[in-house]
Amino acid sequence: MPTILLLLTPTWLTWKNSFFRGAHSWTRRVSLVLLAFGFWIGTYLVLRRVLRYFETVHELGPALAYQLLLIILLTFLSMLLFSNLVAALSTFFLARDLDLIHSTPVAPSGFFFARLVTTTINSSWMVLFFSLPIFAAYGSVFGAGVQLYFWLALILPLFLLIPAAIGALVTHILVYAMPAKRIRDLLFFIGLFAFLVMYFLFRFSQPERLVQPESFGNFMQFLSAMETPSSPYLPSSWLAEILAGTLFKRDTDQGFFFALLASYAMFLPLAASWCSSAVYLDGWSKAQESRQGRRKLVWLDRLLDLITQPFPAITRALMLKDIKTFLRDTTQWSQLFLLAALIVVYLYNFKVLPLDRSPMPAGTIRTIVSFANLGLAGFVLSAIAIRFAFPAVSLEGKAFWLLQTAPISLRTLLWSKFWLSFVPLLLLGEVLILCSNLLLKVPGWMMTLSLITMFLMTFGIAAIGVGLGALYPNFNYENAAEIPTSFGGAVCMIFSIGFIAVTVMIVAWPIYTLAMSAFHRGRAFLPEYSVIAPSLLIVLALTVITVVSALRVGIKNLERLKD
Amino acid sequence: MIQITNLSKHYGQLPAVDNLSIDVAAGEIFGFLGPNGAGKTTTIRCMMGILKATTGQVLLDGHDVVNDAQRAKAISGFIPDRPFIYEKLSGREFLNFIGKLHRVDAARLSKRIAELLELLELTPWQDELVESYSHGMKQRLVVCGALIHQPKILVVDEPMVGMDPKGARTLKDLFRALAQSGTTVFLSTHSIAVAEEICHRIGIIRKGRLIACGDMAEIHRQASANNGVNGNLESAFLELTREAEGEERVRDS
Repeated sequence: MPTILLLLTPTWLTWKNSFFRGAHSWTRRVSLVLLAFGFWIGTYLVLRRVLRYFETVHELGPALAYQLLLIILLTFLSMLLFSNLVAALSTFFLARDLDLIHSTPVAPSGFFFARLVTTTINSSWMVLFFSLPIFAAYGSVFGAGVQLYFWLALILPLFLLIPAAIGALVTHILVYAMPAKRIRDLLFFIGLFAFLVMYFLFRFSQPERLVQPESFGNFMQFLSAMETPSSPYLPSSWLAEILAGTLFKRDTDQGFFFALLASYAMFLPLAASWCSSAVYLDGWSKAQESRQGRRKLVWLDRLLDLITQPFPAITRALMLKDIKTFLRDTTQWSQLFLLAALIVVYLYNFKVLPLDRSPMPAGTIRTIVSFANLGLAGFVLSAIAIRFAFPAVSLEGKAFWLLQTAPISLRTLLWSKFWLSFVPLLLLGEVLILCSNLLLKVPGWMMTLSLITMFLMTFGIAAIGVGLGALYPNFNYENAAEIPTSFGGAVCMIFSIGFIAVTVMIVAWPIYTLAMSAFHRGRAFLPEYSVIAPSLLIVLALTVITVVSALRVGIKNLERLKD
Repeated sequence: MIQITNLSKHYGQLPAVDNLSIDVAAGEIFGFLGPNGAGKTTTIRCMMGILKATTGQVLLDGHDVVNDAQRAKAISGFIPDRPFIYEKLSGREFLNFIGKLHRVDAARLSKRIAELLELLELTPWQDELVESYSHGMKQRLVVCGALIHQPKILVVDEPMVGMDPKGARTLKDLFRALAQSGTTVFLSTHSIAVAEEICHRIGIIRKGRLIACGDMAEIHRQASANNGVNGNLESAFLELTREAEGEERVRDS
């Protein structure tokens, strides 16, 4: 058996054995498959509708669809580049089986290519999963037929291999230049920076401008701009050109772009392999050297002492431990930069909304947008809760025995995790609602209703995150990022979104009543708190039930772990 | 069979192994002793080509572990102190994988797997996933993996940790049998009793330096020469490592 295939057998056998002999129940598997299938169908239908809408724009339909394809492929490429950098670092330098493999007489080239395949699969499967319904929607709307799938089978593996080889090459050079345990931090900063730059560029370039042809000199100039890739040197643009030939029956030289893609997909892995043969052993040796020490921040310790002062001693000790662990793990807190950028972009959207062009009275449309914003902000909070509150219990990891054997109740533990998640989520949620409502200039009653609803909703979102995190704990994680993407994470997301949807539906009635009364009268109206109060009371009851049951379920499961 | 010459490994400014030279003959069981953090594991990782030495050379049966790595690794087996096993593979699948990495031909491999599983009393669990094994069973499986290709050299780092008395006895008998059949065993251990019981020669390392080397009689002689200590290997070991501490204190002052 060739070395590459042989080195891949543990991965393949692990998948096979996990599937056929794993402890997961079939209900769980079926629900995962249904979830995936639902996602596929949803993506396919939404995109098909968008593309059909594009088609109705005379002459411009295919150009718009092409621009969208370019954006999608560019997004995929940037995601692949980043995930390959991180995956290559793990598979080549930090994987737990490296000692075992390196103590056997495996040829370095065989090892390199086997790890390159592993890196490609690990970092690309999700992109592949997301991309298939997108390509299917394009194929269906533009009637591309079997030819599209033939091209996809030919060019997608090449497209996936290029960022994987770049990831391996860059990782080898970085690890050779510095210790690997520092590089994981560095990669997160590079990745975050790259993502933020791309996100800001995309947002501030105002893509809505593309559907305002009056901003271009003449129609032909506009059409020509729409049919040209903005970055002709990127593999995503070559892929788009090949697909455009089949999808939009455009006269592109598919053979040339295929040759371009194939030559890079062959050259880059070879270049990475040469680099690996030259520097791998030195880099691998360095990767095993431990992290350097850190400076003690006295002011931070004092600040944390002050913040946690109101809590009982045990809760306080747990909270301090969690906060310090969080702050010392760069991979955790560096994501806050991303969060800050998302909030800026989120609020910026409200500033640029052309509400004054609406045929409805400004007061009514602002109230409707503010109502939609309530649900959207809740969704943002629940996404953040999945990332930070859901893993709270699992992050105890292999040190959980310490808490199990300590003289503290699991209730205290879970409540400390709850408060730790609740306070930042509440601050974020209220800032989002307050700022967006100020930008929208909503009436006073809407501001009050939104702020109170968000306050109550945050209790539920934090409790669902922490409680279900305790119901589906994973103490044996290899990478903290895998905790929220687990089955439990998906269940948590579903419950969280369900809770937000029910809450929003409850407050919909008073908002509808008051907004419609303003619409019919055609002017702003006086606050009517008697209309708001009953809904808020129902939301309060729902929140109490949610918080109590979510945390109780979590505590019960943690108690069962002792059995 | 094992030639370590002027081996040094520095982590930044810190010398983990400092100018170490050891020769081990074929069929010999060499005990490598030292306190925690003395540099035993670093030495072993350099010997197996897992860690690149800062200076010096390691030859396994004449093959340089850096420049002729594949040949050096083909004739050696390694049992690490914290071994990794793929948890979702069965014991037999794991051994099959390791055997193929060592290019053992298919017919010989299945026979060898059956022999080793029988020898280390793992046959009833051979088709169970490794995740269900106890610590001792995992340790025995790793031993099977290290012996699958009948190596000329066996490098072992703390083999008895987590083993029950019966497992430990089986392992000691196995090392003796291997040495009798010509295999060289390089055994790093904390257990002075184990070293005393089965090793032909012993090297004591402290702060990366070899401070004593020889058979039991020589080690006792070195310990008693200056301090008049008589007794077992434990007393000699404690005396030698204490003496080194004393020397350092004198040097530092």
